[in-house]
Amino acid sequence: MHSITIDNISFSHGQQRILQNFSLQAEAGEFICLLGPSGCGKSTLLRLLAGLDYPTQGTIMLGNKPIKGPGLDRGVVFQDYSLFPWLTTGKNIVFALKQAFPGKSTSFYNEIAHKHLQAVKLDHAFDKLPSELSGGMRQRAAIARAFAINPPVLLMDEPFGALDAVTRAHLQDALVTLWQQEAPGRKTIFFVTHDVDEALLLGTTVVVMGANPGRIRGIFPVELPRPRKHSQLAMHPSSLQLRQTLLSLLYEEAPAVEAPLAV
Amino acid sequence: MDSLTKNRLHGVTPVLLPAIGNAWQRIHPVQHILYVLVAGILLWSNNDVQWRTLLLVTLIEIIATLRTISSNTNTARTATGDIASILFLFFGAWYLATTVLQLLDPMLVPGPEAVLTLFVAELPDTLKGLRSSLLLLVSGYGLAILTAIPLGLMVGYHRRMFHAAMPFTKLLGTIPPVVYIPYAIHFLPSFTAASVTVIFVGAFWPIFINTLSGVFNVPRGIIDAARVLNLNTPTMLLRVILPASLPSICTGATLALCFSFLMLTMAEMIGGSSGMGWYISNFSEFADYPRVIVGIIFIGLVVTTITFFTERLERHLLRWRI
Repeated sequence: MHSITIDNISFSHGQQRILQNFSLQAEAGEFICLLGPSGCGKSTLLRLLAGLDYPTQGTIMLGNKPIKGPGLDRGVVFQDYSLFPWLTTGKNIVFALKQAFPGKSTSFYNEIAHKHLQAVKLDHAFDKLPSELSGGMRQRAAIARAFAINPPVLLMDEPFGALDAVTRAHLQDALVTLWQQEAPGRKTIFFVTHDVDEALLLGTTVVVMGANPGRIRGIFPVELPRPRKHSQLAMHPSSLQLRQTLLSLLYEEAPAVEAPLAV
Repeated sequence: MDSLTKNRLHGVTPVLLPAIGNAWQRIHPVQHILYVLVAGILLWSNNDVQWRTLLLVTLIEIIATLRTISSNTNTARTATGDIASILFLFFGAWYLATTVLQLLDPMLVPGPEAVLTLFVAELPDTLKGLRSSLLLLVSGYGLAILTAIPLGLMVGYHRRMFHAAMPFTKLLGTIPPVVYIPYAIHFLPSFTAASVTVIFVGAFWPIFINTLSGVFNVPRGIIDAARVLNLNTPTMLLRVILPASLPSICTGATLALCFSFLMLTMAEMIGGSSGMGWYISNFSEFADYPRVIVGIIFIGLVVTTITFFTERLERHLLRWRI
Protein backbone atom coordinates (compact mmCIF):
# COMPACT_ATOMS: atom_id res chain seq x y z
CA MET A 1 0.00 0.00 0.00
CA HIS A 2 3.09 2.20 0.19
CA SER A 3 5.97 2.38 -2.20
CA ILE A 4 9.41 2.86 -0.73
CA THR A 5 12.22 4.81 -2.35
CA ILE A 6 15.70 4.44 -0.97
CA ASP A 7 17.60 7.28 -2.58
CA ASN A 8 21.39 7.09 -2.65
CA ILE A 9 21.87 6.51 1.09
CA SER A 10 25.11 5.85 2.95
CA PHE A 11 25.54 4.70 6.51
CA SER A 12 28.74 4.60 8.52
CA HIS A 13 29.44 3.21 11.93
CA GLY A 14 32.43 5.20 13.16
CA GLN A 15 35.12 4.74 10.54
CA GLN A 16 33.42 1.74 9.00
CA ARG A 17 31.24 2.33 5.96
CA ILE A 18 28.38 -0.15 6.12
CA LEU A 19 26.22 1.06 3.23
CA GLN A 20 27.42 3.23 0.38
CA ASN A 21 25.39 4.98 -2.30
CA PHE A 22 22.59 2.54 -1.89
CA SER A 23 19.42 3.02 -3.95
CA LEU A 24 16.39 0.78 -4.21
CA GLN A 25 12.82 1.23 -5.29
CA ALA A 26 10.02 -0.96 -3.97
CA GLU A 27 6.50 -0.81 -5.37
CA ALA A 28 3.52 -1.06 -3.04
CA GLY A 29 2.62 -4.67 -2.28
CA GLU A 30 6.01 -6.07 -3.19
CA PHE A 31 7.64 -8.80 -1.13
CA ILE A 32 11.31 -7.95 -1.21
CA CYS A 33 13.84 -10.44 0.09
CA LEU A 34 17.18 -8.92 1.01
CA LEU A 35 19.66 -11.72 0.51
CA GLY A 36 23.29 -11.45 1.41
CA PRO A 37 26.23 -12.74 3.43
CA SER A 38 26.67 -11.57 7.01
CA GLY A 39 28.14 -8.10 7.23
CA CYS A 40 26.61 -6.87 3.98
CA GLY A 41 24.44 -4.36 5.81
CA LYS A 42 21.08 -5.99 5.15
CA SER A 43 20.02 -5.75 8.80
CA THR A 44 21.33 -2.19 8.92
CA LEU A 45 19.19 -1.35 5.92
CA LEU A 46 16.18 -2.76 7.73
CA ARG A 47 16.98 -0.68 10.83
CA LEU A 48 17.16 2.42 8.64
CA LEU A 49 13.79 1.54 7.13
CA ALA A 50 12.39 1.02 10.65
CA GLY A 51 13.73 4.42 11.70
CA LEU A 52 15.87 2.92 14.46
CA ASP A 53 19.00 4.40 12.85
CA TYR A 54 19.44 7.32 10.48
CA PRO A 55 21.36 7.30 7.20
CA THR A 56 24.51 9.45 7.28
CA GLN A 57 23.57 10.62 3.82
CA GLY A 58 20.53 10.40 1.54
CA THR A 59 16.87 9.84 2.36
CA ILE A 60 14.34 7.04 2.43
CA MET A 61 10.86 7.95 1.24
CA LEU A 62 7.79 6.10 2.41
CA GLY A 63 5.15 6.98 -0.13
CA ASN A 64 5.88 10.67 -0.46
CA LYS A 65 7.10 11.26 3.10
CA PRO A 66 10.70 10.88 4.26
CA ILE A 67 11.33 8.50 7.18
CA LYS A 68 12.24 10.47 10.28
CA GLY A 69 12.18 7.86 13.02
CA PRO A 70 10.19 4.82 14.11
CA GLY A 71 6.50 4.77 13.29
CA LEU A 72 3.47 2.52 13.47
CA ASP A 73 3.13 2.64 9.67
CA ARG A 74 5.93 0.07 9.66
CA GLY A 75 5.63 -3.17 11.58
CA VAL A 76 8.89 -4.85 12.59
CA VAL A 77 9.51 -8.50 13.42
CA PHE A 78 12.93 -9.29 14.86
CA GLN A 79 14.67 -12.61 15.20
CA ASP A 80 14.07 -12.50 18.95
CA TYR A 81 12.68 -10.14 21.58
CA SER A 82 9.81 -9.02 19.38
CA LEU A 83 7.49 -9.89 22.28
CA PHE A 84 7.93 -8.42 25.74
CA PRO A 85 8.68 -11.39 28.01
CA TRP A 86 6.67 -10.01 30.96
CA LEU A 87 3.41 -9.74 29.01
CA THR A 88 1.27 -12.66 27.90
CA THR A 89 0.87 -13.21 24.17
CA GLY A 90 -2.54 -11.57 24.21
CA LYS A 91 -1.38 -8.59 26.26
CA ASN A 92 1.60 -8.14 23.96
CA ILE A 93 -0.74 -7.70 21.03
CA VAL A 94 -3.14 -5.52 23.02
CA PHE A 95 -0.24 -3.32 24.13
CA ALA A 96 0.76 -2.73 20.51
CA LEU A 97 -2.86 -2.19 19.47
CA LYS A 98 -3.31 0.48 22.13
CA GLN A 99 -0.41 2.34 20.58
CA ALA A 100 -1.71 1.95 17.04
CA PHE A 101 -5.39 2.66 17.77
CA PRO A 102 -5.57 4.69 21.00
CA GLY A 103 -8.79 5.31 22.88
CA LYS A 104 -10.73 2.18 21.97
CA SER A 105 -12.46 -0.17 24.41
CA THR A 106 -10.74 -3.17 26.00
CA SER A 107 -13.10 -5.57 24.25
CA PHE A 108 -12.17 -4.02 20.90
CA TYR A 109 -8.48 -4.69 21.54
CA ASN A 110 -9.11 -8.20 22.85
CA GLU A 111 -11.26 -9.08 19.89
CA ILE A 112 -8.62 -8.01 17.36
CA ALA A 113 -5.91 -9.81 19.32
CA HIS A 114 -7.95 -13.04 19.38
CA LYS A 115 -8.72 -12.74 15.69
CA HIS A 116 -5.07 -12.41 14.69
CA LEU A 117 -3.91 -15.15 17.03
CA GLN A 118 -6.52 -17.40 15.47
CA ALA A 119 -5.15 -16.55 12.02
CA VAL A 120 -1.79 -18.05 13.04
CA LYS A 121 -3.47 -20.92 14.95
CA LEU A 122 -2.31 -19.64 18.32
CA ASP A 123 -5.56 -18.63 19.99
CA HIS A 124 -4.98 -21.10 22.82
CA ALA A 125 -1.83 -19.17 23.78
CA PHE A 126 -3.60 -15.89 24.48
CA ASP A 127 -2.87 -16.08 28.21
CA LYS A 128 0.54 -17.72 27.94
CA LEU A 129 3.81 -15.94 28.63
CA PRO A 130 6.45 -15.97 25.87
CA SER A 131 8.68 -18.13 28.09
CA GLU A 132 5.95 -20.80 28.01
CA LEU A 133 5.96 -20.92 24.20
CA SER A 134 8.33 -22.57 21.75
CA GLY A 135 10.48 -20.43 19.47
CA GLY A 136 8.16 -21.09 16.54
CA MET A 137 5.09 -20.13 18.53
CA ARG A 138 6.76 -16.92 19.68
CA GLN A 139 7.52 -15.90 16.09
CA ARG A 140 3.96 -16.75 15.08
CA ALA A 141 2.72 -14.47 17.85
CA ALA A 142 5.12 -11.74 16.70
CA ILE A 143 3.76 -12.04 13.16
CA ALA A 144 0.19 -11.96 14.49
CA ARG A 145 1.04 -8.77 16.35
CA ALA A 146 2.60 -7.19 13.27
CA PHE A 147 -0.53 -7.96 11.22
CA ALA A 148 -2.86 -6.84 14.04
CA ILE A 149 -1.41 -3.33 13.95
CA ASN A 150 -2.02 -3.57 10.21
CA PRO A 151 0.83 -1.38 8.94
CA PRO A 152 1.21 -0.85 5.20
CA VAL A 153 4.87 -1.87 5.46
CA LEU A 154 6.30 -4.90 7.23
CA LEU A 155 10.01 -5.23 8.03
CA MET A 156 11.31 -8.65 9.01
CA ASP A 157 14.88 -9.28 10.15
CA GLU A 158 15.62 -12.99 9.74
CA PRO A 159 12.46 -13.83 11.68
CA PHE A 160 12.81 -17.58 11.11
CA GLY A 161 16.60 -17.70 11.47
CA ALA A 162 16.58 -19.46 14.84
CA LEU A 163 13.94 -22.06 14.00
CA ASP A 164 14.24 -25.67 12.87
CA ALA A 165 13.57 -26.51 9.22
CA VAL A 166 10.07 -27.91 9.68
CA THR A 167 8.81 -25.06 11.86
CA ARG A 168 10.38 -22.60 9.46
CA ALA A 169 8.54 -24.11 6.48
CA HIS A 170 5.23 -23.86 8.37
CA LEU A 171 5.82 -20.24 9.28
CA GLN A 172 6.87 -19.34 5.74
CA ASP A 173 3.57 -20.74 4.48
CA ALA A 174 1.63 -18.90 7.18
CA LEU A 175 3.35 -15.61 6.34
CA VAL A 176 2.68 -15.89 2.61
CA THR A 177 -0.96 -16.81 3.27
CA LEU A 178 -1.47 -13.78 5.50
CA TRP A 179 0.23 -11.50 2.99
CA GLN A 180 -1.75 -12.86 0.01
CA GLN A 181 -5.11 -12.62 1.80
CA GLU A 182 -4.93 -8.86 1.77
CA ALA A 183 -4.90 -8.50 -2.01
CA PRO A 184 -5.23 -5.98 -3.58
CA GLY A 185 -4.09 -3.94 -0.53
CA ARG A 186 -1.09 -6.12 0.20
CA LYS A 187 1.59 -4.98 2.59
CA THR A 188 4.99 -4.05 1.25
CA ILE A 189 7.37 -6.47 2.93
CA PHE A 190 11.13 -6.28 3.38
CA PHE A 191 12.43 -9.63 4.48
CA VAL A 192 16.08 -10.11 5.46
CA THR A 193 17.49 -13.59 4.99
CA HIS A 194 20.70 -15.41 4.14
CA ASP A 195 18.83 -18.46 2.84
CA VAL A 196 18.47 -18.61 -0.97
CA ASP A 197 15.57 -21.06 -0.83
CA GLU A 198 13.68 -18.93 1.65
CA ALA A 199 14.10 -15.91 -0.62
CA LEU A 200 12.85 -17.87 -3.65
CA LEU A 201 9.92 -19.26 -1.72
CA LEU A 202 8.71 -15.94 -0.37
CA GLY A 203 9.76 -13.00 -2.48
CA THR A 204 8.36 -11.24 -5.48
CA THR A 205 11.82 -9.75 -5.80
CA VAL A 206 15.17 -10.90 -4.48
CA VAL A 207 17.81 -8.25 -3.87
CA VAL A 208 21.28 -9.73 -3.53
CA MET A 209 23.62 -7.60 -1.50
CA GLY A 210 27.39 -7.59 -1.23
CA ALA A 211 29.67 -6.51 1.59
CA ASN A 212 32.46 -3.98 2.18
CA PRO A 213 30.73 -1.63 1.79
CA GLY A 214 27.14 -2.87 1.55
CA ARG A 215 25.79 -2.51 -1.97
CA ILE A 216 23.42 -4.12 -4.43
CA ARG A 217 24.84 -6.90 -6.58
CA GLY A 218 21.69 -7.77 -8.41
CA ILE A 219 17.91 -7.47 -8.40
CA PHE A 220 15.95 -10.51 -9.53
CA PRO A 221 12.19 -10.68 -9.98
CA VAL A 222 10.86 -14.09 -8.97
CA GLU A 223 8.07 -15.07 -11.34
CA LEU A 224 7.28 -18.51 -10.00
CA PRO A 225 3.61 -19.35 -9.59
CA ARG A 226 2.12 -19.43 -6.09
CA PRO A 227 1.56 -21.36 -3.92
CA ARG A 228 5.22 -22.23 -4.09
CA LYS A 229 6.39 -25.45 -2.47
CA HIS A 230 9.86 -26.43 -1.31
CA SER A 231 9.64 -29.64 -3.33
CA GLN A 232 8.65 -27.80 -6.50
CA LEU A 233 11.48 -25.30 -6.19
CA ALA A 234 13.96 -28.11 -6.80
CA MET A 235 12.20 -29.25 -9.99
CA HIS A 236 11.07 -26.08 -11.72
CA PRO A 237 13.72 -25.37 -14.40
CA SER A 238 13.46 -21.58 -14.20
CA SER A 239 13.69 -21.66 -10.42
CA LEU A 240 16.71 -23.95 -10.58
CA GLN A 241 18.45 -21.56 -12.88
CA LEU A 242 17.64 -18.55 -10.69
CA ARG A 243 18.73 -20.48 -7.63
CA GLN A 244 22.06 -21.23 -9.31
CA THR A 245 22.55 -17.57 -10.22
CA LEU A 246 21.77 -16.40 -6.70
CA LEU A 247 24.03 -19.00 -5.10
CA SER A 248 27.00 -18.18 -7.30
CA LEU A 249 26.50 -14.48 -6.67
CA LEU A 250 26.31 -15.13 -2.95
CA TYR A 251 29.37 -17.36 -2.75
CA GLU A 252 31.49 -15.26 -5.05
CA GLU A 253 31.21 -12.75 -2.25
CA ALA A 254 33.06 -14.94 0.24
CA PRO A 255 36.71 -14.54 -0.78
CA ALA A 256 39.48 -16.85 0.36
CA VAL A 257 41.33 -13.91 1.91
CA GLU A 258 39.50 -11.42 4.09
CA ALA A 259 39.09 -8.23 2.05
CA PRO A 260 40.54 -5.15 3.80
CA LEU A 261 37.99 -2.81 5.31
CA ALA A 262 37.23 0.22 3.21
CA VAL A 263 38.36 3.25 5.19
CA MET B 1 13.85 -47.09 47.14
CA ASP B 2 14.70 -49.86 44.70
CA SER B 3 12.00 -51.52 42.69
CA LEU B 4 12.21 -54.79 44.59
CA THR B 5 11.41 -53.23 47.97
CA LYS B 6 8.78 -51.09 46.35
CA ASN B 7 7.10 -54.13 44.87
CA ARG B 8 7.26 -56.00 48.12
CA LEU B 9 5.68 -53.09 49.97
CA HIS B 10 2.99 -52.81 47.37
CA GLY B 11 2.42 -56.54 47.51
CA VAL B 12 1.76 -56.54 51.22
CA THR B 13 -0.10 -53.33 51.88
CA PRO B 14 -2.27 -52.35 48.95
CA VAL B 15 -4.70 -55.20 49.46
CA LEU B 16 -5.51 -54.00 52.96
CA LEU B 17 -4.87 -50.31 53.12
CA PRO B 18 -3.36 -48.68 50.05
CA ALA B 19 -3.26 -45.34 51.83
CA ILE B 20 -0.92 -46.66 54.49
CA GLY B 21 1.38 -48.16 51.88
CA ASN B 22 1.45 -44.83 50.13
CA ALA B 23 2.09 -42.90 53.32
CA TRP B 24 4.88 -45.24 54.38
CA GLN B 25 6.93 -44.27 51.36
CA ARG B 26 6.61 -40.65 52.37
CA ILE B 27 7.95 -41.08 55.88
CA HIS B 28 11.29 -39.65 57.02
CA PRO B 29 12.35 -42.19 59.69
CA VAL B 30 15.12 -40.09 61.29
CA GLN B 31 12.71 -37.23 61.94
CA HIS B 32 10.25 -39.41 63.87
CA ILE B 33 12.94 -41.24 65.83
CA LEU B 34 14.47 -37.92 66.88
CA TYR B 35 11.06 -36.56 67.82
CA VAL B 36 10.33 -39.54 70.07
CA LEU B 37 13.79 -39.25 71.65
CA VAL B 38 13.55 -35.51 72.37
CA ALA B 39 9.96 -35.77 73.59
CA GLY B 40 11.02 -38.64 75.85
CA ILE B 41 13.86 -36.62 77.35
CA LEU B 42 11.53 -33.67 77.92
CA LEU B 43 8.98 -35.88 79.67
CA TRP B 44 11.43 -37.97 81.61
CA SER B 45 13.21 -35.45 83.67
CA ASN B 46 14.23 -34.70 87.20
CA ASN B 47 12.86 -31.19 86.68
CA ASP B 48 9.27 -30.26 86.02
CA VAL B 49 7.85 -31.51 82.77
CA GLN B 50 8.84 -29.07 80.01
CA TRP B 51 5.32 -28.49 78.68
CA ARG B 52 6.01 -25.52 76.47
CA THR B 53 9.07 -27.00 74.86
CA LEU B 54 7.23 -30.27 74.42
CA LEU B 55 4.33 -28.43 72.81
CA LEU B 56 6.64 -26.60 70.43
CA VAL B 57 8.51 -29.75 69.45
CA THR B 58 5.23 -31.60 68.91
CA LEU B 59 3.96 -28.75 66.78
CA ILE B 60 7.08 -28.98 64.63
CA GLU B 61 6.58 -32.75 64.31
CA ILE B 62 2.94 -32.36 63.25
CA ILE B 63 3.64 -29.60 60.73
CA ALA B 64 6.62 -31.45 59.26
CA THR B 65 4.65 -34.69 58.95
CA LEU B 66 1.74 -32.95 57.27
CA ARG B 67 4.13 -31.22 54.87
CA THR B 68 5.91 -34.48 54.00
CA ILE B 69 2.60 -36.15 53.25
CA SER B 70 1.33 -33.30 51.12
CA SER B 71 4.50 -32.41 49.20
CA ASN B 72 4.84 -33.80 45.70
CA THR B 73 8.56 -34.10 45.18
CA ASN B 74 11.01 -36.32 46.96
CA THR B 75 13.41 -33.41 47.38
CA ALA B 76 10.84 -31.27 49.20
CA ARG B 77 9.83 -34.23 51.37
CA THR B 78 13.41 -35.02 52.39
CA ALA B 79 14.19 -31.36 53.04
CA THR B 80 11.21 -30.97 55.38
CA GLY B 81 12.22 -34.08 57.32
CA ASP B 82 15.83 -32.93 57.49
CA ILE B 83 14.90 -29.46 58.76
CA ALA B 84 12.62 -30.91 61.44
CA SER B 85 15.40 -33.30 62.48
CA ILE B 86 17.87 -30.43 62.86
CA LEU B 87 15.36 -28.50 64.98
CA PHE B 88 14.80 -31.54 67.23
CA LEU B 89 18.54 -31.97 67.64
CA PHE B 90 18.89 -28.27 68.48
CA PHE B 91 16.15 -28.28 71.12
CA GLY B 92 17.37 -31.58 72.56
CA ALA B 93 20.96 -30.34 72.82
CA TRP B 94 19.89 -26.99 74.24
CA TYR B 95 17.75 -28.66 76.90
CA LEU B 96 20.45 -31.17 77.81
CA ALA B 97 23.23 -28.60 77.96
CA THR B 98 21.31 -26.17 80.14
CA THR B 99 18.53 -27.63 82.25
CA VAL B 100 19.76 -31.23 82.61
CA LEU B 101 23.56 -31.10 82.64
CA GLN B 102 23.83 -27.41 83.60
CA LEU B 103 26.96 -26.89 81.53
CA LEU B 104 26.10 -23.24 80.96
CA ASP B 105 25.36 -20.44 83.37
CA PRO B 106 21.54 -20.13 83.48
CA MET B 107 21.94 -16.36 83.88
CA LEU B 108 23.66 -16.17 80.48
CA VAL B 109 22.01 -19.06 78.65
CA PRO B 110 18.69 -20.14 80.15
CA GLY B 111 17.02 -23.39 79.14
CA PRO B 112 14.41 -23.61 76.38
CA GLU B 113 11.48 -23.79 78.77
CA ALA B 114 12.50 -20.60 80.56
CA VAL B 115 13.05 -18.75 77.27
CA LEU B 116 9.70 -19.91 75.88
CA THR B 117 7.87 -18.89 79.05
CA LEU B 118 9.54 -15.50 78.95
CA PHE B 119 8.89 -15.18 75.21
CA VAL B 120 5.16 -15.58 75.76
CA ALA B 121 5.13 -13.33 78.82
CA GLU B 122 7.07 -10.60 77.02
CA LEU B 123 4.90 -10.66 73.89
CA PRO B 124 2.94 -7.46 74.80
CA ASP B 125 6.24 -5.56 75.18
CA THR B 126 7.96 -7.02 72.14
CA LEU B 127 4.92 -6.47 69.96
CA LYS B 128 4.79 -2.85 71.08
CA GLY B 129 8.46 -2.57 70.13
CA LEU B 130 7.69 -4.23 66.81
CA ARG B 131 5.09 -1.62 66.06
CA SER B 132 7.40 1.30 66.62
CA SER B 133 10.21 -0.45 64.72
CA LEU B 134 8.04 -1.30 61.73
CA LEU B 135 6.86 2.29 61.55
CA LEU B 136 10.46 3.48 61.17
CA LEU B 137 11.33 0.66 58.78
CA VAL B 138 8.35 1.16 56.51
CA SER B 139 8.89 4.94 56.41
CA GLY B 140 12.61 4.77 55.63
CA TYR B 141 12.50 1.80 53.29
CA GLY B 142 9.31 2.93 51.58
CA LEU B 143 10.78 6.38 51.00
CA ALA B 144 13.87 4.76 49.47
CA ILE B 145 11.76 2.57 47.15
CA LEU B 146 9.64 5.56 46.10
CA THR B 147 12.61 7.76 45.27
CA ALA B 148 15.37 5.38 44.16
CA ILE B 149 13.37 3.46 41.53
CA PRO B 150 11.94 6.46 39.59
CA LEU B 151 15.26 8.30 39.87
CA GLY B 152 17.19 5.21 38.77
CA LEU B 153 14.88 4.71 35.80
CA MET B 154 15.26 8.30 34.69
CA VAL B 155 19.02 8.58 35.18
CA GLY B 156 19.66 5.13 33.73
CA TYR B 157 17.58 5.81 30.63
CA HIS B 158 19.38 9.02 29.72
CA ARG B 159 22.93 8.13 28.78
CA ARG B 160 24.32 11.57 29.59
CA MET B 161 22.82 11.64 33.09
CA PHE B 162 23.94 8.06 33.62
CA HIS B 163 27.58 8.81 32.86
CA ALA B 164 27.50 12.00 34.92
CA ALA B 165 25.92 10.27 37.94
CA MET B 166 28.09 7.15 37.86
CA PRO B 167 31.20 8.44 39.78
CA PHE B 168 29.04 9.94 42.54
CA THR B 169 26.99 6.78 42.81
CA LYS B 170 30.13 4.69 43.07
CA LEU B 171 31.59 6.91 45.79
CA LEU B 172 28.48 7.50 47.87
CA GLY B 173 27.12 4.02 47.46
CA THR B 174 30.19 2.39 48.95
CA ILE B 175 30.18 4.39 52.20
CA PRO B 176 28.76 2.13 54.92
CA PRO B 177 25.57 3.91 55.99
CA VAL B 178 26.31 3.13 59.66
CA VAL B 179 28.72 6.06 59.72
CA TYR B 180 25.84 8.49 59.29
CA ILE B 181 24.11 7.41 62.51
CA PRO B 182 25.90 9.69 65.01
CA TYR B 183 25.70 12.60 62.59
CA ALA B 184 21.99 12.09 61.96
CA ILE B 185 21.15 11.72 65.63
CA HIS B 186 23.07 14.88 66.43
CA PHE B 187 21.64 17.08 63.72
CA LEU B 188 18.09 15.93 63.24
CA PRO B 189 15.37 17.17 65.60
CA SER B 190 13.97 13.83 66.73
CA PHE B 191 15.05 10.24 66.99
CA THR B 192 12.31 9.27 64.54
CA ALA B 193 13.58 11.71 61.92
CA ALA B 194 17.16 10.58 62.48
CA SER B 195 16.48 6.87 62.20
CA VAL B 196 14.15 7.22 59.21
CA THR B 197 16.89 9.24 57.48
CA VAL B 198 19.55 6.67 58.26
CA ILE B 199 17.37 3.77 57.09
CA PHE B 200 16.52 5.73 53.97
CA VAL B 201 20.18 6.37 53.15
CA GLY B 202 21.05 2.72 53.82
CA ALA B 203 18.26 1.47 51.56
CA PHE B 204 18.52 4.12 48.84
CA TRP B 205 21.91 3.25 47.35
CA PRO B 206 21.45 -0.48 46.81
CA ILE B 207 18.09 0.14 45.11
CA PHE B 208 19.39 3.09 43.07
CA ILE B 209 22.56 1.33 41.91
CA ASN B 210 20.73 -1.86 40.96
CA THR B 211 18.00 0.08 39.16
CA LEU B 212 20.69 1.94 37.21
CA SER B 213 22.49 -1.23 36.17
CA GLY B 214 19.18 -2.91 35.43
CA VAL B 215 18.17 -0.10 33.07
CA PHE B 216 21.63 0.04 31.54
CA ASN B 217 21.56 -3.69 30.82
CA VAL B 218 18.09 -3.91 29.26
CA PRO B 219 18.73 -5.90 26.05
CA ARG B 220 18.96 -3.70 22.97
CA GLY B 221 16.40 -5.94 21.31
CA ILE B 222 13.75 -5.04 23.88
CA ILE B 223 14.48 -1.32 23.47
CA ASP B 224 14.24 -1.67 19.67
CA ALA B 225 10.98 -3.63 19.91
CA ALA B 226 9.60 -0.83 22.07
CA ARG B 227 10.95 1.98 19.88
CA VAL B 228 9.25 0.66 16.76
CA LEU B 229 5.95 0.98 18.65
CA ASN B 230 6.60 4.72 18.89
CA LEU B 231 6.07 4.93 22.67
CA ASN B 232 6.27 8.24 24.51
CA THR B 233 8.87 8.52 27.26
CA PRO B 234 6.55 7.88 30.27
CA THR B 235 5.09 4.76 28.63
CA MET B 236 8.56 3.64 27.63
CA LEU B 237 9.85 4.02 31.20
CA LEU B 238 6.85 2.56 33.01
CA ARG B 239 5.73 -0.20 30.66
CA VAL B 240 9.04 -1.32 29.15
CA ILE B 241 12.15 -0.16 31.03
CA LEU B 242 10.64 -0.75 34.49
CA PRO B 243 9.51 -4.35 33.90
CA ALA B 244 12.66 -5.15 31.91
CA SER B 245 14.91 -4.01 34.75
CA LEU B 246 12.70 -5.45 37.50
CA PRO B 247 14.94 -8.49 38.14
CA SER B 248 17.83 -6.18 38.97
CA ILE B 249 15.58 -3.83 40.97
CA CYS B 250 14.36 -6.77 43.07
CA THR B 251 17.95 -7.75 43.84
CA GLY B 252 18.59 -4.20 45.00
CA ALA B 253 15.39 -4.04 47.04
CA THR B 254 16.24 -7.29 48.84
CA LEU B 255 19.72 -6.05 49.62
CA ALA B 256 18.25 -2.74 50.77
CA LEU B 257 15.85 -4.53 53.10
CA CYS B 258 18.78 -6.28 54.82
CA PHE B 259 20.53 -2.90 55.13
CA SER B 260 17.35 -1.37 56.54
CA PHE B 261 17.07 -3.99 59.29
CA LEU B 262 20.68 -3.41 60.16
CA MET B 263 20.32 0.37 60.26
CA LEU B 264 17.06 0.16 62.18
CA THR B 265 18.45 -2.05 64.92
CA MET B 266 21.66 -0.06 65.19
CA ALA B 267 19.82 3.26 65.34
CA GLU B 268 17.51 1.93 68.05
CA MET B 269 20.39 0.46 70.03
CA ILE B 270 22.34 3.71 69.88
CA GLY B 271 19.67 6.33 70.35
CA GLY B 272 16.22 4.78 70.66
CA SER B 273 13.76 4.66 73.52
CA SER B 274 11.51 2.01 72.02
CA GLY B 275 11.62 -0.69 69.36
CA MET B 276 13.20 -4.10 68.98
CA GLY B 277 16.82 -2.92 68.94
CA TRP B 278 16.23 -0.79 72.00
CA TYR B 279 14.60 -3.76 73.76
CA ILE B 280 17.80 -5.77 73.38
CA SER B 281 20.27 -3.02 74.25
CA ASN B 282 18.17 -1.91 77.21
CA PHE B 283 18.03 -5.35 78.82
CA SER B 284 21.64 -6.12 78.09
CA GLU B 285 22.54 -3.02 80.10
CA PHE B 286 20.71 -4.60 83.03
CA ALA B 287 22.46 -7.90 82.29
CA ASP B 288 19.03 -9.47 81.77
CA TYR B 289 20.25 -12.02 79.23
CA PRO B 290 17.09 -14.17 79.08
CA ARG B 291 15.23 -11.11 77.79
CA VAL B 292 18.08 -10.34 75.38
CA ILE B 293 17.72 -13.86 73.98
CA VAL B 294 13.96 -13.41 73.73
CA GLY B 295 14.58 -10.17 71.82
CA ILE B 296 17.03 -11.82 69.43
CA ILE B 297 14.65 -14.71 68.72
CA PHE B 298 11.82 -12.26 68.23
CA ILE B 299 13.80 -10.18 65.71
CA GLY B 300 14.80 -13.38 63.92
CA LEU B 301 11.16 -14.41 63.60
CA VAL B 302 10.08 -10.97 62.40
CA VAL B 303 12.82 -10.78 59.77
CA THR B 304 12.05 -14.31 58.56
CA THR B 305 8.36 -13.50 58.25
CA ILE B 306 9.00 -10.31 56.31
CA THR B 307 11.53 -12.02 54.02
CA PHE B 308 9.06 -14.84 53.41
CA PHE B 309 6.51 -12.39 52.08
CA THR B 310 8.97 -10.29 50.07
CA GLU B 311 10.31 -13.45 48.43
CA ARG B 312 6.79 -14.45 47.42
CA LEU B 313 6.18 -10.96 46.09
CA GLU B 314 9.41 -11.13 44.09
CA ARG B 315 8.50 -14.52 42.64
CA HIS B 316 5.11 -13.16 41.68
CA LEU B 317 6.56 -10.06 40.03
CA LEU B 318 9.19 -12.05 38.12
CA ARG B 319 7.04 -15.06 37.23
CA TRP B 320 7.59 -14.28 33.53
CA ARG B 321 11.24 -15.18 33.79
CA ILE B 322 12.26 -18.64 32.68
